[in-house]
Amino acid sequence: MGLLTLLRKLKRNDREARLLVLGLDNSGKTTILKKLSEEDITHIMPTQGFNIKSLMQNEFKLNVWDIGGQKSIRPYWRNYFDQTDALIYVIDSADRRRMEETGVELGQLLEEDKLAGIPLLIFANKQDLLNALAAKDISKGLNLHTIRDRMWNIQACSAKTGEGLQEGMEWVVEKIDNTNAGAGEEEKAA
Amino acid sequence: MKLRRFLLRYYPPGIILEYDLKNGSREMKEIDLLHLTVDTDVEVLVNQIVFEEPLISEKKKPQLRRLIYKLIEKLESKEANDFYLFKILRAHILPLTNCAFNKSGDKFITGSYDRTCKVWNTITGDELLTLEGHRNVVYAIAFNNPFGDKIITGSFDKTCKLWNSDNGDLYHTYRGHATEIVCLSFNPMGTTIATGSMDNTARLWDVETGECVHTLLGHTAEIVSLNFDTHGSRIITGSFDHTIKIWDTRNGRVAHTLSGHHGEISSTQFNYSSDLCISGSIDRTCKIWDVASGQCVHTLRGHNDEILDVSFNSTGSKLVTASADGTSRVFNTMTGACQSILIGHEGEISKVAFNPPGTRILTASSDKTARIWDVDTGDCLQILEGHTDEIFSCAFNYHGDTIITGSKDNTCRIWKN
Repeated sequence: MGLLTLLRKLKRNDREARLLVLGLDNSGKTTILKKLSEEDITHIMPTQGFNIKSLMQNEFKLNVWDIGGQKSIRPYWRNYFDQTDALIYVIDSADRRRMEETGVELGQLLEEDKLAGIPLLIFANKQDLLNALAAKDISKGLNLHTIRDRMWNIQACSAKTGEGLQEGMEWVVEKIDNTNAGAGEEEKAA
Repeated sequence: MKLRRFLLRYYPPGIILEYDLKNGSREMKEIDLLHLTVDTDVEVLVNQIVFEEPLISEKKKPQLRRLIYKLIEKLESKEANDFYLFKILRAHILPLTNCAFNKSGDKFITGSYDRTCKVWNTITGDELLTLEGHRNVVYAIAFNNPFGDKIITGSFDKTCKLWNSDNGDLYHTYRGHATEIVCLSFNPMGTTIATGSMDNTARLWDVETGECVHTLLGHTAEIVSLNFDTHGSRIITGSFDHTIKIWDTRNGRVAHTLSGHHGEISSTQFNYSSDLCISGSIDRTCKIWDVASGQCVHTLRGHNDEILDVSFNSTGSKLVTASADGTSRVFNTMTGACQSILIGHEGEISKVAFNPPGTRILTASSDKTARIWDVDTGDCLQILEGHTDEIFSCAFNYHGDTIITGSKDNTCRIWKN
């Protein structure tokens, strides 16, 4: 990739969109990205910085920035906020213990000026696990219905099986493409 | 006029004459010996210098001869030993961007996504200073070599900061760019700073006052590369608008726009004499340009993918290109002929550099290795392995016996031979 590639991905381009993937550590951000680009997901280490992947979706080139979620590096998420077209927030649906923590982090992101108004997709990941909360329960638990300033959607998925990933990405591309759409779309719990 | 003493400059080879004028003031004069090689006929050269240079009398010949032999000795490749891993520095909590040595090589600096720049002791591996204050990624960094008492940092926060390299004091914050600063440089005298930005402009700043002296307007896309010439009178900028511009630093005006590339420019540089400059492009070619006329002298082809970095050796006799095709190519500057192809990396090469004597080339790659190559044969002499993610930056020190590599794995490694 190299530093020059980083600069080229910073550059604004009409045919390309920039997606930011955030979420707590171990929520499965990197795994989702690797699964979407059909890479091996058996050996994934905690992300110590970031990964960038370019995905093609409906003739859109998506430059997807996956940022490490460990607590010590969360303050640096804002390094990556500029010129973001959509935010993907990943939640480990089986990690009930940290549901409140992930809600707090998401709440803070929604307050950020630089992310104001951009579409939000929440991946309720790890649905393949038995104790996973359903997307609608997460939605209720995190009071997602109070989000009024942007289009948003929660999509149940499993990065392991790939289930739900495409649906989620298609929603994102549709929202980016549809620049005239207004905010405040209805809740669509999967 | 009276000659006081000789000073030596190893890379590129040259002799500096320090002399007194009649009015008592002291001046310096440089005699460049860019064509000096181990095969040079020293007697012929000594006679020629004494003939052409009124400051050097006949009786100085033995001293001059000794100095030239010393310069030749420095050009020979004595690096028979391999480099070994000297230290792993868990440098930053997020990936590194660029790294750079001061001239003597006893200190180096690293920039990072963690918004800091750190100053390191090369000999002990100790962290000397953390330069904190930027609000976003510290991307471009530089010492004011050869002095080394100041550091500049350019950030995605749109500002450039000037620091004291000994105690970390902040002298100035240069504000004015509308978007990320991605390249910067001190002029050779250390009096002016140039910054290039994603806002399509470059700016010249006064080191003392902190004021913007000139805004270089003209590019229609992001500026990602800039360099001063050897005398600091011109600056070259490479842009994503497919052109290179040469500017006069005194008035901030464009001297030439170099057009001909069919893709974004990735890297630019002047040769030491500053009569030529090179540009590498996403269009897979490297071009050599005549600085005075702005004409393209050679177009260097052969790479099968984007060229990501280009670099002259210290005398300017050769240049090397680094490509996303995983190879580097060495070219003769005069003829434009490809002299060797450096084959072995398993991923794109993002950075390339000659060692100062010009005998070795260092490449950094996304395959997590850096490699050292013999310039003449093109053979890979060594693979520097150990980083666990791609290498973004690498550098030789002035003496060519120490290497630093900076990686996306958040570490920096020091290699010695």
